[in-house]
Amino acid sequence: MKTIKEFMAAGHTACDNEFARAEEAALANNWSVAETAFTTFQSAMSHHFKMEEEVLFPTLKSSGGPAGPVHVMLMEHAQIKELLKQMAEAVAQKDAQRYGGLSETLLIVMQQHNYKEENILYSMADDILAQEREALIERMQAV
Amino acid sequence: MKIASLSPDQAPPIGVPLRFFAVAPVFLVLAALLLTIGDGNPFANTHSPALLAATHCITLGFMAMVMLGAIQQVVPVLIGSQMPAPRLVAWLTMLPLMGGALLLTTGFALSKPELLNLSWPLLGLAFLVFIGASLFSLARATAKNPTRTAILLSILSLAGAVTLGMLMARGYAAGLSIPYARLATAHISLALGGGVMLLIVGVSYQVVPMFQLTPNYPKWLTTYLSPAIFGALLLSLIPLTFESAPRWPGLIAEIIFWILTSGYAVITLKLQSQRRRRVPDATLSFFRLGMIALLVAASFSLGSLLPTAYSDHLRMLSVLTFLLGFAMSVIQGMLYKIIPFLVWFHLFRGGVNAIKVGIPNMKEIIPERWMWWHLKLHGGTLLAALLATRLDMAAWLVMLGLLLQGILLGCANFAGISVYRRTYRRIEQAST
Repeated sequence: MKTIKEFMAAGHTACDNEFARAEEAALANNWSVAETAFTTFQSAMSHHFKMEEEVLFPTLKSSGGPAGPVHVMLMEHAQIKELLKQMAEAVAQKDAQRYGGLSETLLIVMQQHNYKEENILYSMADDILAQEREALIERMQAV
Repeated sequence: MKIASLSPDQAPPIGVPLRFFAVAPVFLVLAALLLTIGDGNPFANTHSPALLAATHCITLGFMAMVMLGAIQQVVPVLIGSQMPAPRLVAWLTMLPLMGGALLLTTGFALSKPELLNLSWPLLGLAFLVFIGASLFSLARATAKNPTRTAILLSILSLAGAVTLGMLMARGYAAGLSIPYARLATAHISLALGGGVMLLIVGVSYQVVPMFQLTPNYPKWLTTYLSPAIFGALLLSLIPLTFESAPRWPGLIAEIIFWILTSGYAVITLKLQSQRRRRVPDATLSFFRLGMIALLVAASFSLGSLLPTAYSDHLRMLSVLTFLLGFAMSVIQGMLYKIIPFLVWFHLFRGGVNAIKVGIPNMKEIIPERWMWWHLKLHGGTLLAALLATRLDMAAWLVMLGLLLQGILLGCANFAGISVYRRTYRRIEQAST
């Protein structure tokens, strides 16, 4: 059976792949591919955030998990959402220069965020929510 | 499980790392100027005062300055543990390191023992504070990952290198008769082969996959590589400790050291070639140049073990390639990611108003073309350095290269600081 960490980390990798595809196409000014790839990337990200914000984080908090780390993760989600919004504008304007700068920024924000989740928060969730792991993953998949 | 590691105030104020990064390029300029003093080609003699002074300008004033500043910034995130009293530690490492490096290098350049005598207590203080704070932070780290092990071994090597360095500076200033040649070899091995090598290895485990979306380093490698490098390094020092000890175990250990470090370079290059992010990136190019230089340094060192007339020359080339080619490439490449990110990150904390006035993205902080110019300039300096031991003309090119690199990096850093200040003011105006 998958741990929460394995399940969620696989989600990060999937988002990374879409990120790379969209960035490469945008920098090559190949906007038809970039638009599709960015939309896929954005919806993968928003699905991942929903799983966390609607299921994982509230369950963790109500099971006595610490509020501090969850709060920080939510703040970083807000940063990432803002960058995604600006990137969507750059795609709409077909502005490769701006897209490249924003995606460079997003990459670091996103990678250090994922690092903290995978090394601290998900392990914490696997410990605290060990009993209900399977049901929790099912609930997240259903979001 | 410690939660402090995810605290929003985990990062020290932006001024802390930027001060280290702003001072460092000044030492590159100083290194270039120091190389011009003295008679003849400073690269022709490994013991020339100008070369000794310039080398310490680069290792202490530039490399240690950047690495100490960056470690205080990055390690809390990588190992999940804060440095104690971050502001105090920052001041107590930066100021004595700056003063100590200036005194030591001028002491070497002007052959003034009294300056060396003033330098070593300052350098000792800087590293003592830094090493103490780092060990404290490592001891309470929640993440018991291979990066933590590598950084711990790097810091232990650094402690050894600093102790030997202080001993030599003190001995030289007081005219003591101690085995300088053997101490110097151990000092260089611990500083470069341990301190620098293991730090870069440990940080690579995280940043190589993170920033280029490469596959992860294999688990066996991250578990065993840094202890194996550290072990080989210590074994290679045995013949220096006991004069009567046979030479062959040390030679075998040195061969193992270079095989391990070359293996790391080859695997890093292979991972980078499998990266999912395929867009041009100056940091990546600096990093790859660094790995190729590490392979070249390894071949020079292995070549120097053969009993030929070129042995000393090859050893000198190996140190130059390791220092300028491997360490400096990786450090400069990392700076071009760290500075723009810090500026963006600290501006974003301005919240709603920051978003309203618009924060420059990472590529609007330091112009990207400067980074590519710097890469070319750095590559050119490195090639000149390889020829400088034999060609006087090339020695001049190294000086010019270092001078221009210092100026360019200084400008890049100040560009970052001024973008930060300008945007910060606009955010403040928007909130009133």
